Amino acid sequence: MAGKNKQKILIVDDSEMNRSILADMLGEEYDILEAEDGVQAVGILNKRASELSLVLLDIVMPRLDGFGVLSAMNTNGWITDVPVIMVSAESGSKQVERAYELGVTDFINRPFDALVVRRRVVNTILLYAKQKRLIGMVEDQIYETEQRSSLMIDILSHIVEFRNGESGLHILHVRTLTAMLLNLVAAKTDKYNLTPREISLISTASALHDVGKIAIDGAILNKPGRLTQEEFSVMKTHTTVGAEMLQAAVPGWMTDEEYELMKTHTTAGAEMLARLPVQHGEDLVKVAYEICRWHHERWDGRGYPDGLRGDDIPIAAQVVSLADVYDALTSPRVYKPAIPHDQALEMILDGQCGQFNPMLLECLTENAEKIQTALQGDAAEEIQQRNLRSISEEALRGEGGAVSERTLRLLDYERMKYRFFAAMSEEIQFEYTVSPSMVTLSAYGSKMLGLEEIFMDPQTDQRLINVLGQKTLDEIIACQRNSTPERPDSTIEFLAHLDGESRWFRVITRSVWTNDAPPKYTGMLGKAIDIHEERMKLRELEEKASIDPLTGLLNRASAREQMENRLLLRPNGRFALAEIDLDNFKRVNDELGHIFGDRVLQELAGRMKHAVRSSDICCRAGGEEFFLFLEYNTDIERTVERIFHSLCFELEGRSVTVSMGVALTGCVGPSYEELYHAADLALYHVKNNGKNGFCFYDESMKEKEER
Amino acid sequence: MTLPECYGKLQGDYDEVVSRLRSDRLIQKFVLKFLDDESYANLCAAMEAENREEAFRAAHTIKGMCQNLSFTRLGESAHQLTEALRNTWGDNAQELFRQVQADYDLTAGAIKELKAQLGL
Repeated sequence: MAGKNKQKILIVDDSEMNRSILADMLGEEYDILEAEDGVQAVGILNKRASELSLVLLDIVMPRLDGFGVLSAMNTNGWITDVPVIMVSAESGSKQVERAYELGVTDFINRPFDALVVRRRVVNTILLYAKQKRLIGMVEDQIYETEQRSSLMIDILSHIVEFRNGESGLHILHVRTLTAMLLNLVAAKTDKYNLTPREISLISTASALHDVGKIAIDGAILNKPGRLTQEEFSVMKTHTTVGAEMLQAAVPGWMTDEEYELMKTHTTAGAEMLARLPVQHGEDLVKVAYEICRWHHERWDGRGYPDGLRGDDIPIAAQVVSLADVYDALTSPRVYKPAIPHDQALEMILDGQCGQFNPMLLECLTENAEKIQTALQGDAAEEIQQRNLRSISEEALRGEGGAVSERTLRLLDYERMKYRFFAAMSEEIQFEYTVSPSMVTLSAYGSKMLGLEEIFMDPQTDQRLINVLGQKTLDEIIACQRNSTPERPDSTIEFLAHLDGESRWFRVITRSVWTNDAPPKYTGMLGKAIDIHEERMKLRELEEKASIDPLTGLLNRASAREQMENRLLLRPNGRFALAEIDLDNFKRVNDELGHIFGDRVLQELAGRMKHAVRSSDICCRAGGEEFFLFLEYNTDIERTVERIFHSLCFELEGRSVTVSMGVALTGCVGPSYEELYHAADLALYHVKNNGKNGFCFYDESMKEKEER
Repeated sequence: MTLPECYGKLQGDYDEVVSRLRSDRLIQKFVLKFLDDESYANLCAAMEAENREEAFRAAHTIKGMCQNLSFTRLGESAHQLTEALRNTWGDNAQELFRQVQADYDLTAGAIKELKAQLGL
């Protein structure tokens, strides 16, 4: 046996020797935990009660004695899960009695006998495991009980069908439809408190809706034509007769006399019902009673036998009656052929079969297609499976309280696996549940983000908002809203604000849904990856691509893009574009070499940057051609003049001058093309007039060009 | 000195302990361990300080160990002392304590002899 699967036994005794004698006797088969007094024992129980298979407990101990431990085990409910064997040298009957009262399973008297100890321990652990399994909400148990009830119900309903001359599918269809409708109702409203278990119970019981027909004369049941008034009143009694049979099925519901009386005319059915497994049967019979008696009642009070109205009719009966009517319409009967789905639906909505709960009709029409296909392929089996799964989920959520050991172990294993992988991977992993509205972060994630591992109501958690930013949080919520069971995944990139630093993260989420039909959103799983380095590298590359490597100024393409952006953002802004050429640069290169030429370019670039604000755009457009793009308020002439003078300089005795043509958005249209064209014309004008100067574009230059 | 001889000397029941623990190795291990147990020292201190509850617990523990090891003689006197200290100071507590002291010395002496002979 692998060490992990060994059963754990806690030995509580203040004498080290006694503990080690017991440990030695139990040997290698168990994992032994030791506590040397009651306080330690309660500490261990507090952390690991669910893992323990047994406690061996001494009575007389310092700090907290054995009775103290037992009280704590009662207060915390551990005593129902963990059996306790007393190992005290105390044998006074008072103490023994008190210990049993506090839930002790057994006593082992001193001196310890190895064989006795081992046998008692094994027996106790086995007994407890067995009890746990018997408590009831265990999946296989449910399955078995359901199977047995289903079997009895199947036999019974077949007899009804046989006598009715109905197709064998009617019962199955009603059951399928009932389950489907109930799931839809449960999704729509909490009003009826429909748990998965309740839904399973009602669908199972639905098979009995016509059980009362056993008592109806076959001649009436199978009369091909229309029933006479008298015949119809006999037929109507199948509701009350069925209900009475069910009452008879659970002894104690009625007096013996009544019971005897009833048995005389509904013997067979009642006896069969009485054989239903009792514990489970009682709930089942109660629901079946409601269904039998009231599945011909109608929402407006015009049904039979009791003329109930609205929600006075139990939801179980309401749903079954709708399912019954729908299937009766769409199936052939001795007195009528099958009616097509659409027409049947119309008849029901039209009130031709009596009034139904409008909410139920909504469920029916909204899912008409699904219902049709479900009945065709007969999804009964599938629905049953799904309900079974939900029941176990419900059990796990703790409604039944008791879960099989095997399930717990599996869960434990899964949790351990998850924790292991979460710890191994340096990833921020998280889980969100709607109910309760709670986020659980992996330990690493909690450390990285500086958030608690568990916190409630993330939508309004200020610390989370500080880290994510409201916008990112809204975006994640929106993604969840838009996700579906078919497309549960989404990815978002965002800038997280961590302890004085902002870093880029990518968060991938998967929404989680129930197995109900329709599925319900229950939360999400997700992980966030730090993509900051990746993103920074990308940006660096982008920047590199946009910059002239020699001068460090923007290159032409990116400068153009930025200019266009600004013109677009502020179409009424006043901008100036200056095109600048180094005068006689070819000669400089030829006479003094390219290295010197490069230094001239760099010096000019430096002076350009220095001459304008950092928000203005400086660009080396290519060769010895430069751009300046600036926004201005007043007196652009003086600004341009100042800039021009600052761009003329001497480098190692060589004087460098520039020519500069300037275009203003006040003069030409606010587009890059127009500005560039105009600045180019102005530059041409300067060059034609002896270089080393600047001028502004005006209309006359345009005319000149046109000539 | 063998293990049965040691039991003879401290007036315990060797046959009984063998029938329960089923191995000389285990018995010897626990017999030797007996010397390390602090309950006796605790008992003496508590008696001196007249701390009844402490003394009761220590005597009780000694009784339990003796039962497990089949140290019949010391177990009996520890048992009597335990009962004398339960709930109130019994009149004969001091007297019974002296008996426990005598029996403990006898038991510890025998075990030490065994230990020495085993070369431990």
